[in-house]
Amino acid sequence: MDENLNEHITSYFQRLLPLLSSLFLLLISYIPLDFSLFNNIRPAVVLICVYFWMLHRPDLFNLFSVFILGMFDDIISSAPMGSSIFVVLLMYWLINNLQRYFNSKPFAITWYGFAILSLITMLSRWLVVSIYYSRFLPLDVLFFSYLATVAVYPVISLIFAFVQNSLIQDDEV
Amino acid sequence: MKRRRSLFIHLSHIRILVQKFALVLLFLLAFVLMMVNKTDTVIIEKTSSLATDIVSPMIDVLVIPAKAIASVYDYFKDLRQIHQDNLRLRDENKKLMNLYDRARALEIENKMLAQLLNFVTPPEVNYSTARVIAEEGDAFSHSIIAYTGDASNVRKGQVAVTDKGVIGRIDRVGKMYSKIILITDINSKIPVMVERTRVRGILSGDNTPTPKMVFIPLEAELTIGDRIVTSGVAGVFPAGLPVGKIISIEKNNVQIKPFGNLERLEYVKLVDYGLEGVIEDDLQEAQK
Repeated sequence: MDENLNEHITSYFQRLLPLLSSLFLLLISYIPLDFSLFNNIRPAVVLICVYFWMLHRPDLFNLFSVFILGMFDDIISSAPMGSSIFVVLLMYWLINNLQRYFNSKPFAITWYGFAILSLITMLSRWLVVSIYYSRFLPLDVLFFSYLATVAVYPVISLIFAFVQNSLIQDDEV
Repeated sequence: MKRRRSLFIHLSHIRILVQKFALVLLFLLAFVLMMVNKTDTVIIEKTSSLATDIVSPMIDVLVIPAKAIASVYDYFKDLRQIHQDNLRLRDENKKLMNLYDRARALEIENKMLAQLLNFVTPPEVNYSTARVIAEEGDAFSHSIIAYTGDASNVRKGQVAVTDKGVIGRIDRVGKMYSKIILITDINSKIPVMVERTRVRGILSGDNTPTPKMVFIPLEAELTIGDRIVTSGVAGVFPAGLPVGKIISIEKNNVQIKPFGNLERLEYVKLVDYGLEGVIEDDLQEAQK
């Protein structure tokens, strides 16, 4: 009975790991750093989280997880509430429809895919928030933020790959 | 058997439909949230403050190990600096002692003259210091979260400064944590003036590291390097607080480099001048 309960709890925890690890990284990304460049062009960690987990474990990272992640980002940030939810939902929709082109492909291709999809999503958010403020936001800052996001993708995906390979066990195993 | 199969297909169709419907619904929710946020009601403000209070402790916990790692690096880096700083500070101390004597004499003289003129003295200044736990800066917003809130008598609109100058103002106050909008944020508008010529304008953030000074009179005389201070107009910010200096003047585009180091904020000082200003009035109106 106890063993069964333990197994259930472990299995439940493992199913939550993609969301928990994403939230953990999101919170870390807001810690003040003694690195002036990084503080002005923060990478969009939420996009990396959604892209990675939707590509590799869509069974463990559903629409609800995507929404929770976007909501957390909106709460911490002082950008218009809902803009982060919008951008993660857009990434979710895109990857849901284009999954077949990037899934089970070499890392370079998935990275390239992320570079394209994150460009589309970040530009969409830029447009939506610009409409919200009725003025154009700085494109140069967005561009550098985009480069930072694409540049840190391999590092974060390595962390997530570790989480996936060592902490999440498949049901069949 | 056939019936069961068709039921299964039917259910999977419903599931796909629900998923699609949920996505559309959540997209709509995101837009509704943006719309409601635009109205800036008290309910949104309170909900946002509560949410910040719930999420911020999580970052606060993570800050401790991150700071510990950073402090080891800083310790060794600072060791080299200490001797040079010591010499410089001794020299500076001598100069400051002289200035202190002069300032005391001027203060007494000022008090006597004010009494003669029946001058109403400005309100007492109260400072409180808050630790910065989260920082963000990108194309969409520039803000920080500080460990201070209702419990420390912090109010919306209070000025946040560092030892170098103004860095922002309190935007959302929670029980324990507050959100501070930096002067570089697109929502930040501060009445300022050029210290030398007293020309007034508004310092308007645009989510870049260098905010712009706008609404300047056409005939205004400005030069690169001019110090910008708060003008005190509108009663939200007290007058005379250093903000930054002019680094570029182009047609209708005066860029300011803030004095406060917005990239490395560990602690901020919150200044309470007892000025209620327009923000408090706005709040009362909204509450009605």
